[in-house]
Amino acid sequence: MSGAPRGDAVVITDVVKAFKKTSRRTEITTFKSELVRLLTFKRKLIEPSTRIEALKGVNLRIPKGSTVGVIGRNGSGKSTLLKLMTGIYAPTSGTVKVEGRISALLELGAGFHPDFTGRENILINGIILGMSRNEVKDRVPAIIEFAELGDFIDEPVRTYSSGMFMRLAFAVATHVDPEVLIIDEILSVGDEHFSRKSQARMNEFRSAGKTIVLVTHDLGTVERWCDSAAWIDGGKVRMFGRSEEVVREYRRAVAAAEAEGEKTGHSALSEPGLALPGEAPAPPEASNATLSGIRVLDTAGAQRELHASEQPLIVELAYAVERRAAVKFVIDVMSADGRLLFSTDFHAGELVGEGTVRLELARLGLGGGAYEIFASASANGEKVIQVTRSGFNVAPSHGHGLMRPELKWQLGAVQLAGGAQVAATHAVAETNQQTSLLGKTS
Amino acid sequence: MIRNLSELYQYRALLMALSVRELRARYRASVLGFLWTFLNPTLSMFVYWLVFQVVMVRSGSFRAFPYFIFSGLLPWIFFSSSMLGGTTSVSDRRDLLTKVRFPAQVLPATVVLTNLINLLLSVPLLIGLGLVFGFVPTWHLVFLLPVLLVQTFFTLAVSYLLAALNVAFRDLQHIVASVIQLAFFLTPILWPMSQIPALGSLTQGESRQLVGALNPMAPLVNAWQDIFYNQQIPSDWTGLGIVAVEALLIMLVSTAVFERRREEFAELV
Repeated sequence: MSGAPRGDAVVITDVVKAFKKTSRRTEITTFKSELVRLLTFKRKLIEPSTRIEALKGVNLRIPKGSTVGVIGRNGSGKSTLLKLMTGIYAPTSGTVKVEGRISALLELGAGFHPDFTGRENILINGIILGMSRNEVKDRVPAIIEFAELGDFIDEPVRTYSSGMFMRLAFAVATHVDPEVLIIDEILSVGDEHFSRKSQARMNEFRSAGKTIVLVTHDLGTVERWCDSAAWIDGGKVRMFGRSEEVVREYRRAVAAAEAEGEKTGHSALSEPGLALPGEAPAPPEASNATLSGIRVLDTAGAQRELHASEQPLIVELAYAVERRAAVKFVIDVMSADGRLLFSTDFHAGELVGEGTVRLELARLGLGGGAYEIFASASANGEKVIQVTRSGFNVAPSHGHGLMRPELKWQLGAVQLAGGAQVAATHAVAETNQQTSLLGKTS
Repeated sequence: MIRNLSELYQYRALLMALSVRELRARYRASVLGFLWTFLNPTLSMFVYWLVFQVVMVRSGSFRAFPYFIFSGLLPWIFFSSSMLGGTTSVSDRRDLLTKVRFPAQVLPATVVLTNLINLLLSVPLLIGLGLVFGFVPTWHLVFLLPVLLVQTFFTLAVSYLLAALNVAFRDLQHIVASVIQLAFFLTPILWPMSQIPALGSLTQGESRQLVGALNPMAPLVNAWQDIFYNQQIPSDWTGLGIVAVEALLIMLVSTAVFERRREEFAELV
């Protein structure tokens, strides 16, 4: 971003955060243990057996003025990381440094009292969020205007609809005017109109050069809206970089884990917090079979801007195999939002040297939109470690959805009022853009 | 301790806002509203008077017994409600502690401040009751200020400690409730300090000192009675001095415990 102030807004160094499992009988706090602890001034030692490490050594630098998306599976430690940044939690070891006033939108409406009016709650909530009394008072008109509550502002909050409550809470939280804003999954507050408005408010923050950290499962938002993204997996930063790249890698890993789960009946995804497979990116030289290129082509061998649903599609991979080995190729086709459409593999037998391999889809059969292809090669059953990807677009055609099967509409026999039976058939076949009616009889 | 208290000052806007809200929320939606602040101690006073003077027929020499009870009851209610509220003040505020960065020491302080305001608002009622019995307020009222100071400081110190411990050890809130109930009868509210007999080899004066040292509320309640009922300069300055020192020591320990524990609060509440 232009004119962004230099330096880092948030610096996280070697942060470990451990929690204690409280389910074990022996771990119950007794008065005696508390007293002993009190007298000895000892920090509670967490036994290794009952210790859960939510974060296992996180290093992250968030530059001032950047918008960073934090993605990862449920239980991967994203929220813990946010709570550490906000100062709600203290790290077990390591340091968290935040420069500037921080405002966290972790849960909206912290400290709202249902019996108080909207106006009264603005004051208390604003102070809780770190504003001074006068600051809040100055901003009350702006907050009320933003929340669009009208006369309800002087009604008790308990009479509000949930949408009104959220709108008011969001309005207060975003008027704190922080230097660092931390958001946990709340961009979709209220209806379409308010959602756009809050998005606009976020954009204002961005262009004002504020640092924004956003945790979300909406990968599209991260791609479109964030400068960079951090992928947290199994309590560690698995990847940090440009948001598109991180999101892409994340999608691939999730899809790979899903595919793995389908085959073995056991998925890494079913265990919360467990790292996705392939966590440690192996050094490339360890791999015998590598892919050096991927091309998405039409039948004429041309790379096209738009492919047609009805036409064939060819995926061409260029490979290199160092030592003779049985090589397997895998191609996954995924939708833009990361869903696996299909996966296919090909056991090519023993190969050595360089060459190409082609997958031909006789008819593409996908609806209009953007898609991605992930391809990998593995030799002698080794773990897939290198994945090559490419995207392609399909021109919109009749109907919508991801699939575009060959289809035909047909009308069955019609009972006419006069008792005469007439067979009417409407067979519809489409080309890309037009619909033609065939074989209409009466 | 200094850091904790200066932080408290730093967050005074929050403290004030929360206290005001607490006071207003307590009686909102109730018909009598703020009157409940006065009704509760008045009704208790009435019952104690009924039981201890009318039913049990104490010696008739005890002049204006209801006024005597009331002058001791008010500081006691301040102390006991602060203890009860303070103990759970941190553990009950999961909504705040886990959602925003929040200075936890504001929570017990809010409870103490709220009760202090209630106490101050009840003082005119006490004076009014005194007038009914023919006690015209005297200049001794000025001594209320140092007494209140020691009392508030002591209450705040104990609240911090209880609040911090109750987060990990929830049984404490029940223990506190029981102890408070028992301590009421061990504090000179329904009986005057002067009725403490000579214990063992101690003289009567020494016995009183002992009670005062063991129950810090005794000299404080006694001072209230001196100011309002006996209308004299608080007689037990040694007792008050001991309480002040005790309060300081407890504050040192409790702020240290509180600071040490506060980073765990968000995880344990």
